[in-house]
Amino acid sequence: MGSTVVEKTFEAMFYLEDLREVLRKTAPFHKLKEEEKEEVEALLSKVRKALSIIEAELVK
Amino acid sequence: MITGAAFELRMREELYINLEPLQRGGVSTPESRKASIAYVDGYSTCDYCLGSLHLLKKPPVQEFLSDVADFLGMDRAILTNGCREAKFAVIHALTKPGEAIVMDVNKHYTSYVAAERAGLTIYEVPSTGYPAFKVNPDTYVDTIEKVKKDMGKPPALVLLTHVDWTYGNLVDAEKVGRICREYGLPFLLNTAYSSGRMPINGKQSMADFITCSGHKSWAAGAGPIGILAVREGWEDKVLKPSQRYKVKPLEILGCSARGTNAMALIASFPRVKERVKHWDEEVAKARWFSAEFESLGDVEQLGDKPHNHDLIRFETPVFDRIAQKHKRRGYFLYEELLERKIVGVKQGRTKTFDLSTYGLTREKLSYVIESFKDIISKFQS
Repeated sequence: MGSTVVEKTFEAMFYLEDLREVLRKTAPFHKLKEEEKEEVEALLSKVRKALSIIEAELVK
Repeated sequence: MITGAAFELRMREELYINLEPLQRGGVSTPESRKASIAYVDGYSTCDYCLGSLHLLKKPPVQEFLSDVADFLGMDRAILTNGCREAKFAVIHALTKPGEAIVMDVNKHYTSYVAAERAGLTIYEVPSTGYPAFKVNPDTYVDTIEKVKKDMGKPPALVLLTHVDWTYGNLVDAEKVGRICREYGLPFLLNTAYSSGRMPINGKQSMADFITCSGHKSWAAGAGPIGILAVREGWEDKVLKPSQRYKVKPLEILGCSARGTNAMALIASFPRVKERVKHWDEEVAKARWFSAEFESLGDVEQLGDKPHNHDLIRFETPVFDRIAQKHKRRGYFLYEELLERKIVGVKQGRTKTFDLSTYGLTREKLSYVIESFKDIISKFQS
């Protein structure tokens, strides 16, 4: 295993921190505007991509 | 508790509007949280140690400190474990037990305790008292003269709390700096509630020392951290090294914040540099909030009027009257606000309470005002 898995692990956590920032900005009711919904979708997609690479490297 | 966590999660910023004045300026940026994750291990800043934290090139602590000194209009800066440690470092380096220090009555308790620990006689500059509690810079002259009369010599150090923690009053540091310059006295400006929120210029304020709080006003979570900035000419005294360990600054006991706290501060700095440019918007928002809250009736803002800071204390007889008859007494207000997803007003407080509007949108603050209004209507009808 190279450094890729570790980097992707950090990357996934960092995208989740960005997601956390959206939760903070929209607290307490989290009524997201369209652009915020798009931002969340983009972040989740990046997290999933990072997780896929980790899974491919470590498990499969 | 969620699976995998050995502690109760703190979700105040994600689930509530948090008005806690101690916390608003220290709400972390995403960058600081990411830095905290990456540098979570003990002594994580020390992988490429050059003997002292302030000399580190990787991570770029030395470069950061140089930028911070410029940002504050000072000549040198070092990290400390907190603002109080920065104040004590200056006090300890400059004074001898039995000498006098002059500080404002609105000071943070740690200024007093630091002076007490150094064995100093403490002279307090009075405020105007209720309801404004203003510290008039000219009153520093009277207090310095009193020290001279009582002790036969001037104070060894003068300290000003730029913005106090109780009323959020902003004192004209330049006026105090000028007085100190005229008397030839060293001037320590405590900016725990100002630097990192608003622009600070040490040269203009004629400050010899500026102390800062990273976790209070520089959006740096991940543990307490402070900054001590020094004007040229004082390095030999305040930043002097140990005689044996030549790269270790004596007054801060060598290396100070050597982990996530330092990295969080460094990571937040670009946003901090940007946000101080918008300080006038924060002040306008605080004034608007104060006026809106007072318009509900039987609410009076204490301290500077118009107000010059986001930290605001209110006297609130309207809520105290409700508390007298409510079965939960003073706790009712905290609980009513909590139900409306608002936190930060201390439990049990109804006569007076403090809050901060810093970093909150007008939309959120309008909701807070509507919530206060709703609570008043609920119990007055």
